[in-house]
Formats: sequence, structure tokens, C-alpha cells
Amino acid sequence: MALTETRPETDRADTVVDEREPATQIERLIGSGDHLSNGRLLVGFSLIFLVVSAVGLGLAALDRTTDDGLLGGISDTLWPSSLIGLVLAGVLPLLIGLGICIVPLQVGSRAVSFPRAAALSLWAWLIGVLLFITSVAIDGGVGGSDDELARMGNLSLGLMMAALALGAACVATTVFSHRPVGMGLARVPLFSWSMLVAAPVWILSLGSATAHVFLGHISRADAAGLATTFDSGIAWLLHAPAVYMLAIPVLGIAGDVVAHLTGRRLAPYGAFQAAIAAYGVLSFGVWAQTPRSLQTIIWIAVVVLAALPVLAMVGGVADTVRRGTPKLAASLIALVLAHLLILGGVLAAALEAVDTIGSGQLWNLDTGSLAGAQALFLITAATLGALGGAIHWSPRLFGSVAAEGPARGGSLAVLLGGALAATVLLVQAIAAADGRDGLPEGLLFALVAAGAALFALGVLGGLASGLGAARQGHEDGPSDAVTEGLTLEWSTADDPVAVRSPYPLLDLRDGGASDEESK
Amino acid sequence: MAESSLVAGAPAPVLPRRRELLFGTGLVTAGVSMAIVTLVAQYLATRAAAGGTWFVDNDIPLTQPNMQLVTIGMSAVTMQWAVWAINRDDRYHSYMALGLTLLLGIAFVNQTTFLWHMAEVTMDQPEGPLFYAVTVGHFAMVIAGLIFIALMAFRALGGQFSSRQPDGISAAAIFWYACIGLYGLIWFAVYVQK
Repeated sequence: MALTETRPETDRADTVVDEREPATQIERLIGSGDHLSNGRLLVGFSLIFLVVSAVGLGLAALDRTTDDGLLGGISDTLWPSSLIGLVLAGVLPLLIGLGICIVPLQVGSRAVSFPRAAALSLWAWLIGVLLFITSVAIDGGVGGSDDELARMGNLSLGLMMAALALGAACVATTVFSHRPVGMGLARVPLFSWSMLVAAPVWILSLGSATAHVFLGHISRADAAGLATTFDSGIAWLLHAPAVYMLAIPVLGIAGDVVAHLTGRRLAPYGAFQAAIAAYGVLSFGVWAQTPRSLQTIIWIAVVVLAALPVLAMVGGVADTVRRGTPKLAASLIALVLAHLLILGGVLAAALEAVDTIGSGQLWNLDTGSLAGAQALFLITAATLGALGGAIHWSPRLFGSVAAEGPARGGSLAVLLGGALAATVLLVQAIAAADGRDGLPEGLLFALVAAGAALFALGVLGGLASGLGAARQGHEDGPSDAVTEGLTLEWSTADDPVAVRSPYPLLDLRDGGASDEESK
Repeated sequence: MAESSLVAGAPAPVLPRRRELLFGTGLVTAGVSMAIVTLVAQYLATRAAAGGTWFVDNDIPLTQPNMQLVTIGMSAVTMQWAVWAINRDDRYHSYMALGLTLLLGIAFVNQTTFLWHMAEVTMDQPEGPLFYAVTVGHFAMVIAGLIFIALMAFRALGGQFSSRQPDGISAAAIFWYACIGLYGLIWFAVYVQK
């Protein structure tokens, strides 16, 4: 009904009856615009595809342990396909799914903006991922030899990117336009704020990468041509500074989790928001696509300066922990360690940056290994941060508190696995400097394969923890056990809560603290 | 009969949130624009690498792109006219302005296809894929913009927009202005500097 139309007087409530058949379970699932339902599906599927991609990376590494290819030389296809799969089929949808679930609750909204578009992004992304996996499995994907299947892989990459950009736009619009009265942008919870910062960076970066997919398709390139297009037009997503963008929401999740577990306000709140915004700006890497752009003073400054907002966040979080008495929950441990992994990625990028100062090569480090280390550090950091967030918000996400044991085990395995693979590549970059042999190839890639396997096991642990919580929630009904939250997603009140600071529920318990007090 | 429920007593729909569509459209427009800018950048980089051999076998006159620029440039005025009118509840002028914008947009589409026919650029020559990637990409964006404007015009006819809720028309305008700005970029990078 249009907004200006009025109901005719003859239109009586008791005369019109909906005679449609009730929707089946499948129809409800596919046709749902509910943000929790769609967000959960996105989180669940992305965890599954994270495992698949990590296994693919492990197999590619195993293949490289011998010169002639232990598994028949599959690594040329599987290595780049798995790396981009970890980002587009794993980490980004995991964070966006978490955003679709939690961000509307944090800003006191009943729904995500454009719920049908959010559902479209979920199903389009899923189709894209399935097409990509099919393409990789039968000699297409990135670096495969079959022209048609490589084109299918190329198109599926574009579909995934467009779908993820749409999902990110829905989440950011929710933050911007669904806030209640009193919640200015300066009072938005940090996870929502970080999604608002991340979404434009992701949309612009994915938009630019999609252009290369389009170019590859319109030029009717063969498999080799598409592999070249990937290297020159899409692989920059896995390199600093663009790869930093994966971890933007991790900073926000950490801020919210630490405040919740300590029961303390983060102060000064604006400084935390500024740190996240600064990190977001520094992770904008569309301009750094070509090798020439990596040899500039701007690139060196950007990749090194990104450490500052992360260190600021670490300092602020540490100060809050010092003032409070936090529970040593799995989510807190995961998020603190995720920051260290971000710094590991920045270190790898900084080494590459310092190496390029002057006339070009200072130490002549192995830049291929350095790029791999950057990607793996940031992917692991984002996965660990998202798992920490999913565990923390499990009562809202799955309907019940996630069990601590599997959550801790999963987080630890993700950390150890990802850090092992990334650190080995970092060490290789240094060991192979100046054209030296570096680590023995067999040892190097065996360690990377072990790291990838451990990472996959950890994600499986996180998935099991989430499924356990979902089953518990299904049996016991929605959990109202957690009522000591600070922000609106924990609100159980039917009436709207007045927002006078970033922590309205804490205000309620404190008897109404002013915004000034929160500073 | 299966389970049934009463629907006639449902509450009246609430007004959409202000600026929701505007902000969402802004984000999507930014992503699409970045894709087109990337294609133009790739075009310029490839042309610079090719040196003096670029488009030596083709004749792309500037008159046609100039006419396209004028046509789509005029539609900026009519689109802003529609925004101005709906903000003052002047529906008659709003419909007229949206109709004129659609007309100018369709004229631009027609001119673009004519230019492709006239330029005779083939996909086999090295310039072909990039030329068509840039111009077809923008062409698709313009088509999407026209559909967006037409949809918003129908919703305006249905009475969904007014000075209290002008977001649909404003959102379509944002997307359309991006189309115009990007054509300006393509006009200079591809046609003037050929």
C-alpha cells in the first residue's frame, strides 16, 4: 500500500482472510528477510568455506614440498584459489554475517537495512562460492588450464565480490540510518562503528577488483590470460595496505568485548573511534595495485603507519583491562591475540617497505613470501577476531552461550595454525634474502601445510561450538542469562532504552550517567 | 483449508527511515564508480604502454561524444529539477522533470550505440577489449540509472514521495549524477585524448 492511500471504510478486518498455504521450512529459509536468520547462515557457511579453503591451502603447500609436485602439481591452481577463497568465501562473509546479525541489535533496530538486499547478498554469494569451488575442483579457478572453467571461476569471483559489497552496504546503512534518538555516531557501539568504517573501504576495494573480473571476461581471455589478470588486478587484495581492511571490524569487536567483560566504559571513547577510523583509512589500498605504486614513499608511510592505530587500540584495551577485572573468556583471549597477529602482518609489510627504501632493494628480501605472510597474518587475525565476536555474542547469535572449552580450543588452534604458516613465510622471506636458498622447500611447505591443517581444525572447533550453542538454544528457548551487557544488543526490556552515552544499559544500572561522565 | 490468519487489521505501514535509501545508494554508487574509474585507469595505462599505435586504424570523431556530453549534461539539470520539485510537493513539475531526464538518458543510450557502430572498433584489435570494457561498463551503469529513475517515477506517481519523504528521487539523482560525472571522465580520457 502506498503511504498516501487510506483504507476504504468497507474494508472490514473480519471480512478478509489470508487463505494462502503456510510456507514450508525451506520456503521460510530461502525467503526470509530476517537479519538473524540470514546472518547466521552467512556465518555458518563462511566457517565451512574457511575450512575448505584452509584445506585447499594445506594441500597446495603439501604439493610444493617436492620439486615435481607431491600431489601432481596442483599447487599452481590451488594456492592462489585457496588464498582468495579464504578472503572472499571465508573471512569477509564471516564478518559481514556477524554484522548483519549483531549491528541491528546494537543500534536498537528490529531489522537490517534493505533486508531483501541482504538476503540477495547471502544467496548470490553462496552461488558464487559453489561455482568457484566447482571451477577449482575441475581444473578452472585461478591458474587452471581449462579456458571455460577458468572463465567460470573468474565470473564466480565477480559474483562473490558484488554480493559481499551489497551485504556490506546493508550493514553500513543500518548503522547510519537505523539508530535510535540519542545515539549519534559518536555513541555508536564500536563493532557497529568499525563496520561503518569498513564497509566503504570494502565496497570501493571490491568494486575496483570487480572491474578486473569484468575486463577479463569481456576480453574473452583464456585461462592463462585470466591468471595474469588475477595477478595484476585482483591479487593486490591480498597485499598491504588492502589486506589490512580484513581486520577493521576486529578492532571494534575487541572494544565492545573488553568493555563488556570488564564492565567498564572505554575512555576516551572518541579516541577508540578515531583509531578505528584511522586504521580504516590506512587500509584503503585501491591505489596500490601496480608494482610501481609499491615503490613510493606514500606506500611505505601508509603500510608502516597502520601500526599506530592498532597500538593505540591495544593500549586503550590494556588500560581498560587494568581498570577492570575481566573474566578470562575465550573471546577476550582471541581478540587480544588477534591484535598481535595484525601487528605481525604490519611487521611483514613494514619489512617489505623498508626494503624498498632508497634505490630499490635494501636487503633484497623474498617479496613473494612476504606477501604471503601479510595475507596469512591478516586472514588469521580476522578469523580469530570474528570467532571471538561470535563466541561473545553467541546468546544473541545462536540463542545460547557457546561452550568455553571448544571455543578456547578452536581459537587456540586457529591462532597457532595461522601464526605458524605466516611466521614460516616471514622467516623464509628473511632467510632467502639476497638470493640465498632460504629454508629447505620440503620443510617450509610442510610447516605451512601443518599450519593450514591446524587452522582448519580450529575453525571446525569454532563451528562445533556455534552449532552446540544453536542446538542448546533451540532446546531451551532464547537465552536471557546474559543481562549484564552495556550496549543495546543485550537489552531484554520491551520498552526503548534512553541513549545518553555509548553504554545505555550501563547508564540504566548506574542510574543514568551523563555523556560527560562516560568520558 | 490450511492455517489462515487475518490480515486486514494489520497496522498502516510506517514511513521509511529518512536517508536510508540515500545512504545505501551512495555506497552502491561509490562501488560502481570505483569499478568504472578502475577500468578507465587500466585503459590509460595500456594506452600509454602502447605508444603511438593506439587507434591508428579507427576514426572516432569527437562530434558524437561531444553531443553525448551535452545530452547527458542537460539531464543533470532536469534531474535536479525533479529533486527541487518533489521537495516542494510540486508533483506536476517533478513528473515532467523525471520524464525529460528519462528522455535525455534514452537519447544518450541511442547515441552511444551509434558511436560504437561508427567507430568500428573490433574485439580482435588490442584496443577493443579495453574500449568496450570502459564504454559498455558505463553504458550498463546508465541503463541501471534509467531503470532506477523510472522505478522512482512510478513510485512518485503512486504518491510515495513528497517533501516529507523525497529520498527515492534524491537517491536516483545521486546515481544519475555519478553516471554524468563518469561520462565526463570517459569523454576526456577515451575520446578527447585518443
